[in-house]
Amino acid sequence: MLSINKASERDHLVIALNGEVDASNSVELDEVIQEAIAENAHKILLDGSELEYISSAGLGVFMSYLEDFNEKQVTFVIFGLNEKILNVFHILGLDQLISIKNTREEAEQALYEA
Amino acid sequence: MVKPPNIARSKIYILLTIMSWFALLFVDLVRIFGEINQMEGVIKREITWILEIIFFILLYLFFNNSINKKENSNFLNLIWRAASTGLIATGTSFLIIYFYYILQDTRLSDDPLLRNFFYHVNFALTAIFLISTALLWKHLILYQKNKAVVQQWQAYEVILLISMFFVLINQESFNYGFMFGLIFLIIYGVILSVNLKWIPYLTFREKWKSILFLAIIVFSTVYLLVQLVSYTQKNVHFVNLSENLFLLGLFAFVLIYAVFSFLVTLFNLPTSSVFEQKLTEAISFQKLSQSIQPGENEDQVLDILMDSCMSAAYVDAAWLDLHADEEDRRTGTVLYQKFISNGERQEIMDLLKKTEPFSAYLKSQTDARIEYLYGKISHEIFQSVLIMPVRANKKILGDMFLLKEVKDGFNKEMINIISTFVGQTSISIENYRLLNEAIKNERYREELEIAQRVQRSLLPSALHHNRCFEIDGFSAAADEVGGDYYETFRFDQDNFALIIGDVSGKGTSAAFNMSQMKGVFHSLVQLNFSPKVFLSKANSALSRCLEKNNFITTTYYTVNTKEKTIHFARAGHCPTLYFDKGNNTCRFLDIKGMGLGIVRNDTFDQYLEEGTMVYHPGDVMVMYTDGIVEAKNKNGEEFGYENLRLLLSSIYELPAHEIRIKIIEEVYSFVGKETLPDDDYSLLVIKFKA
Repeated sequence: MLSINKASERDHLVIALNGEVDASNSVELDEVIQEAIAENAHKILLDGSELEYISSAGLGVFMSYLEDFNEKQVTFVIFGLNEKILNVFHILGLDQLISIKNTREEAEQALYEA
Repeated sequence: MVKPPNIARSKIYILLTIMSWFALLFVDLVRIFGEINQMEGVIKREITWILEIIFFILLYLFFNNSINKKENSNFLNLIWRAASTGLIATGTSFLIIYFYYILQDTRLSDDPLLRNFFYHVNFALTAIFLISTALLWKHLILYQKNKAVVQQWQAYEVILLISMFFVLINQESFNYGFMFGLIFLIIYGVILSVNLKWIPYLTFREKWKSILFLAIIVFSTVYLLVQLVSYTQKNVHFVNLSENLFLLGLFAFVLIYAVFSFLVTLFNLPTSSVFEQKLTEAISFQKLSQSIQPGENEDQVLDILMDSCMSAAYVDAAWLDLHADEEDRRTGTVLYQKFISNGERQEIMDLLKKTEPFSAYLKSQTDARIEYLYGKISHEIFQSVLIMPVRANKKILGDMFLLKEVKDGFNKEMINIISTFVGQTSISIENYRLLNEAIKNERYREELEIAQRVQRSLLPSALHHNRCFEIDGFSAAADEVGGDYYETFRFDQDNFALIIGDVSGKGTSAAFNMSQMKGVFHSLVQLNFSPKVFLSKANSALSRCLEKNNFITTTYYTVNTKEKTIHFARAGHCPTLYFDKGNNTCRFLDIKGMGLGIVRNDTFDQYLEEGTMVYHPGDVMVMYTDGIVEAKNKNGEEFGYENLRLLLSSIYELPAHEIRIKIIEEVYSFVGKETLPDDDYSLLVIKFKA
């Protein structure tokens, strides 16, 4: 069960995830990110405060866009992850590649400083 | 019964019958000769009767035998057999009359012996005709028999047998006893004669023929009766064979059944076309319901459908319009166009699109609920139209268009039978598709089983170790195949490599990547790199072959049992759980790391760290995949790292094998029986001993 909400705020795009990302719905997440890149969004904020679970397939989606983000100079910041999911990011090492913040304010700050 | 003795038996019957007839003839002629010459009591008349009875019985046995053998002959043949026998008997009788006509004034014409000889010939033929016909009637009476009818017939046979012997008891003819017996036989014959179930199964033509044959039989029977009776009246010196209850009873039965059959067939003539129609419908229905064999296609059943519907409703023209279907190659084609040209069909289609109630349906074709559409059109040839959608798997396969030249050509019964045909067709097609699908699925399942076997063989069946440590592993996949992987390698007596890995995703794609991982492991391990170098080489190799969004997490260890050291590096895999006996602590070896395939360039090794530690006897190392810690119970709670850590703290004293079993048991009991595991579980336990 996953619902994805995409909204524009100021100069950035906010993608809010609600529920669980697993192999069956990771495609939806992929589509949303791809859309965002196609729309030339340069600042993307991912709201993970309502995210309950993410499987390896879901992590694979973020991973697959890291290169695109670098190439197109997209700033991608995740915030609001719960402890468990943060740990998943951490174990895999994705926290070394993606900027992960605790709160929205910190995230927005990171977004506009970069 | 074997055949040869059967043939022999019928020959014996013929022989015996002929012999008995000659004996009868001889005895009777001698008796008449004696009577003429006033020599009383040379041969008693009882002997005549006994021979007559023997003759009847033999005839009966012979025909019973020969008719039973031709069990499958049809009704018309049976009736024709009776009619032809009747004709022969009648014909012979005419010949005899003609013969006497020629001899009119000669002395020979008055000769009682010659006359009696001919009488015997006549008698024999009449008996043959009556007995064979009675047995043919038996066949007809017992068509679609039930127990009661069979019993009735058997009783009749017994009564006939008794009636043969009646002559021995009651020597005076036509007294009360005789009359009573005859009336009883006639009534019984009438009762039997109501069994006429065969008549409706004749076609119209066959009915006409059987009426003709039955008429011949009635005529022959009456004539032969009259003929035999007339002998009795004409002759002074005469042996009376015909005043026999059996013979007269048979006359009555044969005649009554023939008359009944004649009348019933005659009155059945007008309704026979309806019956034939129903029979055709039943056969069509049966054809439709026979499911199409796998490998054949659906066209055949659609063809039968069209033919059946057309004949059931006397349709003048029809076609079947198959709808466009992305799965089907015959997209939007018109099949089985019958008795109508392309031009006319187009013309009618255009007309229908302008006429209610068809126009709405034909334009949208979205309303799948419509069972049929029926109405009239203003066309110069065709006046009424019935459109019947043909469905399969809840989708409309196509529309069947049936046209008739008369107004209001389709009545309720026709529409009913057509919709039954259509329903049956749908079932046939659905069954056929389901069957094909089942076969396909079965094949997939087999393939998957093979994959499973192959993948099982990718996991090591024995793990390398020496006397310094115990090792035990376990792996279970959530689907048929999984993406978890572990393996060991032995460099020399004291040096070992261990790896545990988990491929992102699960199922078949994970299984393929896992086998790549195995290949990478075996090529790199032999080069004896340090864990960090090993992982960065593995990353570089896998980056070239993994799909963009796939990655593999793994931890690689080298163990030296001489120096008691462990070197390891973690590529995004779950941190190893380590129990330190000396300090009695249990902790996760969380060092920096990055999954393989996430960073696909040279910068990868900067995200890696290499850990080194010294082990002591009694230490336990638990390597696992995320399936274990993320195993969820029915409340959605995860097993978690802390549970695992606490568990190990309590069971570290057990041998490696039992620790492994205990952890797996705990995980499964946590998950509960109701929930299915949704990830692969793998576990590797090492216990150091020296």
